Amino acid sequence: MANENKSGGQPLNRAKIMIVDDDPDLRRALKLRLRANQYETVSASDGYSAIAVAQKEHPNLIILDLGLPAGDGFNVMQRLQESDNLSDIPVIVLTARDPQGNEQLSLAGGATAFFQKPVDNNELLEAIRANLQPALTKALHS
Amino acid sequence: MDQQTTNVLLIEDNPGDADLVRLRLVEARFPVNVNCVNRLSDGLASLANETPSVVLLDLYLPDSRGAETFRRVLENAPHVPVVVLSGQEDEALAIKAVHQGVQDYLIKGDLSSKQLERAIRYAVERQALLRSLEMARSQQLEFKNRFLSHVSHELRTPLTCIHQFVTLMADGLAGPVSPEQHDHLKTILKSVNQLHAMIRDLLEATRAECGKLRIEPRCVVAGDLVQQAVALLRPLAQQKQVGLEMGLDTRLPLVLADPDRILEVLVNLIDNGIKFTPADGCVTVKACLVDADPDHVYFSVADTGRGINPEALPLIFERLFQDPDTVDGNRSGLGLGLYIAKEIVARHGGRMWVASQPGQGSSFSFTLPLYSLAKLLFPVITHEGRLREALALVRLDLTPLSSLARGNWRETCTQCLDLLGRCVYVDKDLVLPAMATGGPQETFFVVASTEMQRVPIMTTRIRQQIGALPQLKTSGTLRVTARALPLPSMPEAKTLEQQVELVADRVTEAVLLDLGCKHSFTGKGAL
Repeated sequence: MANENKSGGQPLNRAKIMIVDDDPDLRRALKLRLRANQYETVSASDGYSAIAVAQKEHPNLIILDLGLPAGDGFNVMQRLQESDNLSDIPVIVLTARDPQGNEQLSLAGGATAFFQKPVDNNELLEAIRANLQPALTKALHS
Repeated sequence: MDQQTTNVLLIEDNPGDADLVRLRLVEARFPVNVNCVNRLSDGLASLANETPSVVLLDLYLPDSRGAETFRRVLENAPHVPVVVLSGQEDEALAIKAVHQGVQDYLIKGDLSSKQLERAIRYAVERQALLRSLEMARSQQLEFKNRFLSHVSHELRTPLTCIHQFVTLMADGLAGPVSPEQHDHLKTILKSVNQLHAMIRDLLEATRAECGKLRIEPRCVVAGDLVQQAVALLRPLAQQKQVGLEMGLDTRLPLVLADPDRILEVLVNLIDNGIKFTPADGCVTVKACLVDADPDHVYFSVADTGRGINPEALPLIFERLFQDPDTVDGNRSGLGLGLYIAKEIVARHGGRMWVASQPGQGSSFSFTLPLYSLAKLLFPVITHEGRLREALALVRLDLTPLSSLARGNWRETCTQCLDLLGRCVYVDKDLVLPAMATGGPQETFFVVASTEMQRVPIMTTRIRQQIGALPQLKTSGTLRVTARALPLPSMPEAKTLEQQVELVADRVTEAVLLDLGCKHSFTGKGAL
């Protein structure tokens, strides 16, 4: 993949993405991958700080692990949904857990997409693009 | 056994024999409570309400005779010990009874009280032992399932990390990479993908063992699946210089199948074929109808490879089996692929088998059930032995207006289909299984027993309800259209079955016409 920046560096690509995962190495790898695609990134390593960082940074999209210390991914989604100003942020679940059962629970819990690790980078980037579009359009209008 | 009262259900129609059994039980001074019924249906009704300690069963009853009698009791009360009390000696029947799960087979004529008491006690004990064995086995399976699910989760985490950093390097995001380094990184990535596939197979095999393989059957064009699988493996075949041929029957009907899972099966078989076929050999994938079995479509994947040893042939679908003669540097799996493939086909109601000639090649075949609209329609469109008069066909399209993530889109469609199932009258209307289409659009058809004039009301209701799905509200990226399709008037037919067949044909024609008739079908209720 020689050309990482397929969308041509439009405003869409300056979106801020929050990575929530307790594995520091994976956070670092995802950060590098997303930055190479012109996204801004912020990150959190547990459920508790995920909400705090989201409040402070107002990301345009969240990539969320399910197995997390201090409040798992489902808990994070629930708290995002309950919050007045965070409930509109699209959430992509990226987990090592079994899709059977967890996929449906995640989508019911408010996620807009579900991927099992290891994920194909192109599929993940495609889902990010698809989910950012409505979120950014909405942000632009309000 | 402690001194608790033993509750006996005696199913016996001869009053003399019933009294004899009671007498023997009293003689045995055995704390017992006998409930006697004289028909099998009464016995089964009693078993549905309460669980006795033991069933004493005569085989010749007014409403059932012979082996059928114990088969039905065992089927209805699999956990209750059954002792057959027969009027005559019949060794073959006795063995059959024991094989099917009857605890004992006694002859009424030479029954002493002591014998009967012992038979009952031992039957109860054996049944309890059997049950605890069964429970231990299912607990063990469950544990294995949980264990593997846990292990696979733990293995995926570091694997994901390797995958991410290797792709970062291979994509040149961590500095320039020489062609040789790039080559090495590709090799690492290939191994990572193999490990990933093994973890997935381990979980799938355990699921198959526990009967938890997930299948979502839909209406699928059999030939499309073959074409997709062949297209996916064309590059590999070219790379190995193996020919990849396709032979599709021109009159292939629709099958009822989970397209993702069957594609997986076909890919697995074709991939194996290519792997074990030398350069200049050929792999042929076929789908056809067989006159002797009109209810199934037959698929086969044949290669001109080295074939399978006759000794290995019966073991080829076993878990973890790998033919020692074919194990070489190319091996890349755990030996679970064929086992999983066979289980997937079995879950569809089909079967899979193999034929092979060493030195000449192997041929793997499997069947999938035909999708019969008439069978699905029958209970819905008939009422009190007659065809319902008003029938309409409604088409519903869901179109995503922006690209939704795949998982999300499928989930949305599943929810729509569930909702659709509740919008219509369950006993009067039928939501046809979704058509598996290549594009992002999902199309559902509903056969409704309603007047054409009332269809607009129905479609409005469906549109409103589906439009109210929470997922669609937030994303607003979906278009729902529903409209009625006219069904041509029904010609006269003799029997109700023929009438239903005709309706099925009409519906099929209307649907195909509306879809632009891109597939060819056999006429008989093929949709």
